[in-house]
Amino acid sequence: MIYRTNEYLGYPDRISVPAGEAVSFQLSSKQPSVKVEVLRLRCGDVDANGPGFKYEVMTSPIDGEHACLDQPIRPGSNAVVDHDGALVPTGGHWCFGAYVYPTRIVDNAKAVMGNWCERSARGYALELDEEGHPVLVLGQANGTPARFALDVKLRPRVWAFVSCALDLAQGSASVSLIVPADGVRPAAACSKSFALPQVAAFDSGLPFLIAAHHLNGDRQYTSHFDGKIEAPRVFSCPLEAEALRVFDGRQRTGASDVGLVAFWDFSNGISSTSIRDLSPNGLHGNLRQLPRRGVTGFHWSGSVHDWRMSPQEYAAIHFHGDDIYDCEWQTTCTLDVPAHWRSGVYALRLTRGGDDPDRDCESYVTFFVTPGKTSRRADLVVVASVATYLAYANSALRLYQVHFETLMEHVLWLPQDDVFMQENPEIGQSTYDCHVDGSGRAYSSWLRPILNMRPRGYWFNLINDTHILDWLEEKGIAYDLITDVELDRQGARALAPYRVMMTPTHPEYYSLNMMNAIMAYQNAGGRHISMGGNAFYWRCGFHPAAPAALEVRRGMAGTRTWESEPGEVHLAGTGEPGSLWRHSGFAPQKLVGVGFSAMINDTCGYYLRTAESEDTRVAFIFEGTGRHDKFGDFGFRYNGAVGSEIDRYDLELGTPPHALRIATSEGLGAGALPTPEEFRTVVDGLDGTQNALVRADMVFFETAHGGAVFATGSITYGMSLGHNNYDNNISTITLNVVNRFLDPRPFIMPARA
Amino acid sequence: MDHTSDPGAMRYVIDPGRLDLVEEFRASPLGVHSPELRKLLARMRWGRPEGRLVLIVLEPGKAWRLSRIPKRRGDPMPFVDDRVFTSLAEAEWHVFKLRWQDMTGTTLPAEVFGDL
Repeated sequence: MIYRTNEYLGYPDRISVPAGEAVSFQLSSKQPSVKVEVLRLRCGDVDANGPGFKYEVMTSPIDGEHACLDQPIRPGSNAVVDHDGALVPTGGHWCFGAYVYPTRIVDNAKAVMGNWCERSARGYALELDEEGHPVLVLGQANGTPARFALDVKLRPRVWAFVSCALDLAQGSASVSLIVPADGVRPAAACSKSFALPQVAAFDSGLPFLIAAHHLNGDRQYTSHFDGKIEAPRVFSCPLEAEALRVFDGRQRTGASDVGLVAFWDFSNGISSTSIRDLSPNGLHGNLRQLPRRGVTGFHWSGSVHDWRMSPQEYAAIHFHGDDIYDCEWQTTCTLDVPAHWRSGVYALRLTRGGDDPDRDCESYVTFFVTPGKTSRRADLVVVASVATYLAYANSALRLYQVHFETLMEHVLWLPQDDVFMQENPEIGQSTYDCHVDGSGRAYSSWLRPILNMRPRGYWFNLINDTHILDWLEEKGIAYDLITDVELDRQGARALAPYRVMMTPTHPEYYSLNMMNAIMAYQNAGGRHISMGGNAFYWRCGFHPAAPAALEVRRGMAGTRTWESEPGEVHLAGTGEPGSLWRHSGFAPQKLVGVGFSAMINDTCGYYLRTAESEDTRVAFIFEGTGRHDKFGDFGFRYNGAVGSEIDRYDLELGTPPHALRIATSEGLGAGALPTPEEFRTVVDGLDGTQNALVRADMVFFETAHGGAVFATGSITYGMSLGHNNYDNNISTITLNVVNRFLDPRPFIMPARA
Repeated sequence: MDHTSDPGAMRYVIDPGRLDLVEEFRASPLGVHSPELRKLLARMRWGRPEGRLVLIVLEPGKAWRLSRIPKRRGDPMPFVDDRVFTSLAEAEWHVFKLRWQDMTGTTLPAEVFGDL
């Protein structure tokens, strides 16, 4: 059967909910109603060749049909300033302007600042037209817009100062452009004067906007600016364009600037979503849909790369017409999660109700139920990689990347969700993708539908992770599930109830709190089974003012599909440097003994035991298997336990000296290629046929207070667990590790550690 | 621009006379390939995404259909024909032949070309 998976879309207000608490779902469809069921997933993989799509249907108060609205997504970021008329031109003169750095000049006009409303054709604004000409737009009494365009164009990715001056007494206006010198290009300036209409309608009655126009009076916006805007200012006195540009906005006690109406200093509150007016009028505003702050401004000197060191050099905001943080849909239904429900991966199943259900139409909204206040805890907890799910949320790599088919080494297979994303780009893509202006996407939020975090969606990450849950269920191992969001918000306290924690196939994105929580847990006697590969790799953060959004700055290293603009490596939300944990002195090897080494684009491999594996400290791991077995020369989807992305042991990068490298990979070929930070000079022999660093290592080490760590170093390990009806050597050694780690007998760190 | 992002970063020129590479690919579209065939495939697979042939998964692991990446985000993404593939190897071979024809400007011998 060919399923249509996007007739219903939705998202939860919270990604994880403790049993006994409520979670609301925002759903949308062209259908007038939706039938809702709640599933607890065991294996979310619908592939006919896998373990099978397995779940339990939970009886809940929201079961059944609900009325459903068709709720649009309106992307695009901008600032909104409520002003009670203070920003409507009055008196004799009105001058306004800003530094702009447009990153995309096409299609439609892009608003810089004003209160212009498309629907009513009232108000005023400064915008760039389809070709990049600065334009003054004014409302007229006759209801048609008056447009006054300068006949020179701005260039993309060049800083310029654009401004307008209105002389209301004389009935004239001017539009000006000043382009300061840069590189080999000399400074340039241009200005043009116009006669104003006899009766202008400057007051749309709506808030003042930066980087958008009002579409209508219902707080819907249009003409979103793609690019950076810095230091917008408004004066009610006559000023030449250059005088307006060089106005010194720095506040001094006891001094005021004549005629200053508003001056928004975006260097103030970079980690917030509000903007501050430094004028005495206090016309502060708020940002919508999370544009990027902490970006270099016109005054960036290149001498600092951390906005916290010199915020004035980071006084710009990069707005995008396709920024999306929160779809702001109305709630369709709210689930009071029963206190007795087991924690786990849950999903709403959305189908057509009524007398004639359409069996091909089936959609999901995934959420996570965590243990509640009264839940009896298991001894083992699985930590779902929500930050990673978000980083990859609505990944359009298969649609828009030059290199991706060569990387995958086959014609790209696009799930129908990819077709939906191509045809409906407003849903917003992942932090692997670029905005429509070509700049990398730094934010991804769960307050929007996420197509590849659902059953019947693309399998990478969440669906692969459910293979591990399926195995735990099959082996009768009691477990709880929390997410890394709990690690971020609660730190080590979230892990404290558990003897063993397990991280799944690909916990790639980790915040400072998450990393420190696991380190503290391990050092307090906790046991950690790291089941995946390319783990604990990117330093990222949830945005404090937009807590449903993960922020990623790619930096200039690592396996990356875009890189940070110069000077833009630090997260706006927390100020900390983004990029790799390896470059913040906390390589994954320091946490779990192994860290990212290579991507496997062709044939997967398997493990062979090393001489170190004969140490009695790890004898328990290999019980029931042969000394010279090939471990994992099989597996669903990838055909090998060593594959996709793999990690290796490295003492210099922080692997504890007493760690045992108990197995290492074999069978990798020319399609096994190192991650860029693994070499400093390009030479022949970098691929897996020659490069000894292109490998997965399986490691074990003890930690203080009786704890231990076991790491597999490979993403595909988990998809080998179910092979041969769960009877195979990967399953055997994993079960050995789980059983010993659940055993309260302490592990003893060797004296030489 | 960097190598990962540059659509023109692959230098290899496909030699229309190398029917041995065509035979090697045909014998094992999803297999491990010789260094020369790997170069040819890397060239075929590289480039601007717009217009690229892709397989749309109708049923995971079971059925696929050909489409192309459209020019602009937001444009519709129709199938290119009615053909339904039930084997990935068959689909790989089909796309290989289409690209060979497109990139070399030559047609493969009829017994190889089959039912394009």
